[in-house]
Amino acid sequence: MATHIPPPATPSPAAEPTKPEKVDYFDLPCPIPYEEIHREAMMSLKPEHFEGMRFDFTKGLNQKFSLSHSVVMGPTEVPSQSAETIKIPTANYEFGANFIDPKLMLFGRILTDGRLSARVKCDLSENLTMKANAQLTNEPHMSHGMFNFDYKGSDYRTQLQLGNGGLIGASYIQSVTPHLSLGGEVFWAGQHRKSGLGYAARYNTDKMVASGQIASTGMVVLGYVQKVSEKVSLATDMMYNYMSRDVTASFGYDYILRQCRLRGKIDSNGCTSAFLEERLNMGLNFILSAEIDHKKKDYKFGFGMTVGE
Amino acid sequence: MSSKVVLKTKGKSTKGSKPSDDKSTSKILKEWSTWTMKKAKVITHYGFIPLVIFIGMNSEPKPSISQLLSPI
Repeated sequence: MATHIPPPATPSPAAEPTKPEKVDYFDLPCPIPYEEIHREAMMSLKPEHFEGMRFDFTKGLNQKFSLSHSVVMGPTEVPSQSAETIKIPTANYEFGANFIDPKLMLFGRILTDGRLSARVKCDLSENLTMKANAQLTNEPHMSHGMFNFDYKGSDYRTQLQLGNGGLIGASYIQSVTPHLSLGGEVFWAGQHRKSGLGYAARYNTDKMVASGQIASTGMVVLGYVQKVSEKVSLATDMMYNYMSRDVTASFGYDYILRQCRLRGKIDSNGCTSAFLEERLNMGLNFILSAEIDHKKKDYKFGFGMTVGE
Repeated sequence: MSSKVVLKTKGKSTKGSKPSDDKSTSKILKEWSTWTMKKAKVITHYGFIPLVIFIGMNSEPKPSISQLLSPI
């Protein structure tokens, strides 16, 4: 009797998808923030490539507070007028302090040449969040700062941005169906006297995410990520600027395995790249980064180690 | 001729009074806001990381100074 097949009247979870669920349009999920609309495509296709050696050490003093020390040695590109890329070897030490609390997050990094990069995120109330972001340097007129105020509603999000140089922006995104969300943004840059308008859409299911964005600055971005299995995702994206008629398409994969994460991509500019993060031990990660640009004949290889959570 | 002289002096006096009127509200406001932005930038540049460390050292459970300075 242990092998008796259960009667088909008992509903099993596998039978649910055949019956479409009634959509309650007043109870839609909260959408992704507008600036993260291409999140899956960005995470899979744009890892932080670097050239040279990188060593990061994060020391936690406390559940919420940690310090980080980071050493980077390698050639860095200097913008030049000619078609050739000029690289200058540099070595930097960066000290950082992080404080992470459910209501307040502070993140600060300072380099040896005096450049400070700071991020603050503070929950003013349950739905209202304030974020601030600043990159400060000792050189005059090269510092940037931005404040964001986000309000999260039941199925929408709005954001107001204030930046230096008279930058004001606002964005709004709304869930239209359980899978589709649409949003728009408008911004005005005081210093350059430019204004812009943009629209974005995102459709996601458990297996795939498709996102698109178009802006009046001439930028069109489309992205598609398919989760082939638990461990493998494939992603593709296309960036097109209709003002300058410049198009870049890329296709990549993302393998998230137990001990490592491998991301690789190939580009329409003739650039192939890969990024491997291997977990050697608890808290010890080994990183390899490679970026080969066949068109510009620029080859970048990097290796590094990350210690600490 | 006397009327011409009168006109000239009138022109000069109006030109002279304009800059002092302009300086009252908008210019003073701009100067103050630029001054506060500069001071805020310097304070943030030097004080942000010490502020994070101060808030972190006072959170529970309190870490000790030796943990802050040692490389282990």
